[in-house]
Amino acid sequence: MTIIGEFALWISLPIAAWGMVLGYAGGRTLRGDLVLSAERSIYMVFVLLLVASLGVGAAFLGDRFEFWYVANYSNANLELFYKITGLWAGQRGSLLFWALLLALFAVITVVTNRKKHREFMPYVVGVLQTILLFFIVVLLFADVNPFERLAFTPADGRGLNPQLQNYWMTIHPPTLYLGFTAFTIPFAFAVAALLNGRLDARWIQLTRRWILTSWLFLSVGIVFGMRWAYEELGWGGYWFWDPVENASLLPWLTATAFLHSVQIQENRGMLKVWNMSLVLLTFLLTIFATFLTRSGLIESVHSFAQELKIAYIFLGFMGTVMAASVVLIIYRLPQLRSENQIESFLSRESAFLFNNLLLLGAAFSVMWGTMFPLISEGFTGQEISVGPPFFERVNFPIGLVLLTLVGIGPVIAWRRASKRNLQKNFTIPIAVGVVTGIALFGLGARHELPLVTWSISAFVLTVIVTEFWKGTRARARIEGEGHLLAFFHLITRNRRRWGGYTVHIGFVLMCIGFAGAGYNQDTRFNVQPGDVVSVASPFGHVYDLTYEGLSMSIGRGERNLLWQAIATVSVSQDGTPKGILTTEKRQYTNRDTQPMTEVGIRSIVSEDLYLILSAMNDTGGALSNDPGAQGIDLQVLIKPLVSWIWIGCLFIALGTVIALWPNVDRARLAREKAEEKAGLATAAAH
Amino acid sequence: MLDSEDRMKKNGRFMVGLVGVATVVTYLIWTGVSETMVYYMTPVELIEKVGEDPTFHDVGVKVGGMVIPGTYSRVEGELLHVFTVRDLVDEASTFVVEYRDALPDTFTDASEVVLEGRLRSDGIFEANVLLTKCGSRYEASPEELAGTSQ
Repeated sequence: MTIIGEFALWISLPIAAWGMVLGYAGGRTLRGDLVLSAERSIYMVFVLLLVASLGVGAAFLGDRFEFWYVANYSNANLELFYKITGLWAGQRGSLLFWALLLALFAVITVVTNRKKHREFMPYVVGVLQTILLFFIVVLLFADVNPFERLAFTPADGRGLNPQLQNYWMTIHPPTLYLGFTAFTIPFAFAVAALLNGRLDARWIQLTRRWILTSWLFLSVGIVFGMRWAYEELGWGGYWFWDPVENASLLPWLTATAFLHSVQIQENRGMLKVWNMSLVLLTFLLTIFATFLTRSGLIESVHSFAQELKIAYIFLGFMGTVMAASVVLIIYRLPQLRSENQIESFLSRESAFLFNNLLLLGAAFSVMWGTMFPLISEGFTGQEISVGPPFFERVNFPIGLVLLTLVGIGPVIAWRRASKRNLQKNFTIPIAVGVVTGIALFGLGARHELPLVTWSISAFVLTVIVTEFWKGTRARARIEGEGHLLAFFHLITRNRRRWGGYTVHIGFVLMCIGFAGAGYNQDTRFNVQPGDVVSVASPFGHVYDLTYEGLSMSIGRGERNLLWQAIATVSVSQDGTPKGILTTEKRQYTNRDTQPMTEVGIRSIVSEDLYLILSAMNDTGGALSNDPGAQGIDLQVLIKPLVSWIWIGCLFIALGTVIALWPNVDRARLAREKAEEKAGLATAAAH
Repeated sequence: MLDSEDRMKKNGRFMVGLVGVATVVTYLIWTGVSETMVYYMTPVELIEKVGEDPTFHDVGVKVGGMVIPGTYSRVEGELLHVFTVRDLVDEASTFVVEYRDALPDTFTDASEVVLEGRLRSDGIFEANVLLTKCGSRYEASPEELAGTSQ
């Protein structure tokens, strides 16, 4: 099976090249046979990449340690689940997996468009095959072939890093990759529009679902990664402004900007060049993120030489794509003129534009901070790095203004907002925001940043909830429906709008959660069994934690576990028992000589109680069950409002799904068919 | 429709807003870098630098190096870890590190670490941040793999 997979990967190379050439040729000549052949090549490449991926999977399941990739990411004792997911455990498999997902999306695009939007499809296929071809070339020629054999067969592999053996870490990379690859489809349509000259908002409408799908997976994927860091890395944080995290944030920022600015193009026929540029930029950033997250280029500048080949190939590809796209945009500039002008500073267009500028500013600062070590070394020979303080200093203010715009943008009028419009919509929300701020201050909240964030959040939530309420009330009155039914119908009749508002609620909830970090508490104790320690929460209650002792369990190498030390802590809140929490050290075989930590988390709506078994006083004694060796270092964290980050993410996912849900609108379907005919006529004329 | 003069005025006001935002973001980045940046050095560079310029003892720096196996010890009764770090290339350039916090799980006495802190004038590096190389990118050379097969 593995051999077949390797062959399949090689065969996919000429097929993708063939499909690419035919796609462009078909777009140029509009010859049906060429186009059909190009489209079929997409199916072929998908099947071949699927076979190649199954080949890697088979190598993992069959413990074929003669393959470098398997030997590095698996061993005989690894759980079946992690062998199956080995495909995306490391760089080599991930690149293949990326190509497979893209091929899958390409197939979906070709199938769903086989009878419509024919003026776009040949070029779309051409672009998709170009990108697939690039990944296949990388896999085969950039020293990252997952089928590379070692000169010898090791008796066992190195196993999977235990930190990666976590549910969230298993679903985090594929989710992000779904987001990255899904964005390739809008990019392909944008390039197709540049090539065939159909430069109205058509390509945006056609790819709206892809854009939203991509954005959904990106958002959720990033939060999965945060969740993993929170549970597994054992320091109680969820975001460290690490280059790898930043790389996944960058395309999210530009994609978010794009989601907003396309609405200006759809509604007002403006910002066409800008939108083209954002699609291009987001696509390049997804490629950049794919490259960076699995190569470790930034942290290990000193081992840069090893990565040189793949770095040059990626940079070369990104440069070529950028140059080609810029040339195309310049060539089409006359047709990309704005149909309208911004009429007023106080208008929704203007709010959207500021949103875009701020998101891009944030993206630029994140990029700058991430690349700063490389830039400074290039210019001064001295590597200078900036850490979390830099990113926070720049992005907290930007985030706060963006948060404010979330409250302003949706209710300010298009074109030109009147004074009455502003007064009517904002008097009460601003009052609520101010009152919230004063009330929190009165209750003892003194940290400025959280205080400001929560006040603005109250303002924004009031705006959005008022919108929901006004819509529901109006509908209930006009249609004579009950309020619940009216609320449901309100959303289903304009999913885009209300889905968007739901996403905004999610974003606000996340910001409320982020601001909670201003009140994080961190206390360390050295405790013996029976000791009681007390920790006060910022919400006023007191936790009494009783350390009950350590229990050891010795594994015999099953699931690669050598031993496990479990510290049990009884929790009581203001004198009321609240059950027990455990935190562990685990020693795995094969990988590291140092034990791993599993934290204990008790999550309630207002805060998380987060226990870390930092160290055992005497590991050897504990292992031999010496009753005198039960002392431990216990770290107790209180993380206010952390749950709201995850709850906010649920709202974001829910809102995006609402906006994505297919509309059965017969009138529009008929209109689309008519436009389709017109489109074919244009394409034929071209 | 607006006449062109009116349009210019509107656009002008709008441009002021855009340029204003761009300026503020640039300012934030500029001051952010200058106030939060730390030098990222190798142990060789750091030792050389403090030799030339003794005031550098008080400057916070980031240093990447290897922990020398067998040098790790924990000071009894307090949360203080002591170990020796060497340059990745020049094995003779070393210094002792004191670190007062919980160690990350990935720390071993043979790992590659990135430290943030300062090299005191007594030659001891006082670290307040300790990072180890991220696990998902650990890949072994063929020699190391051969080692596991024995």
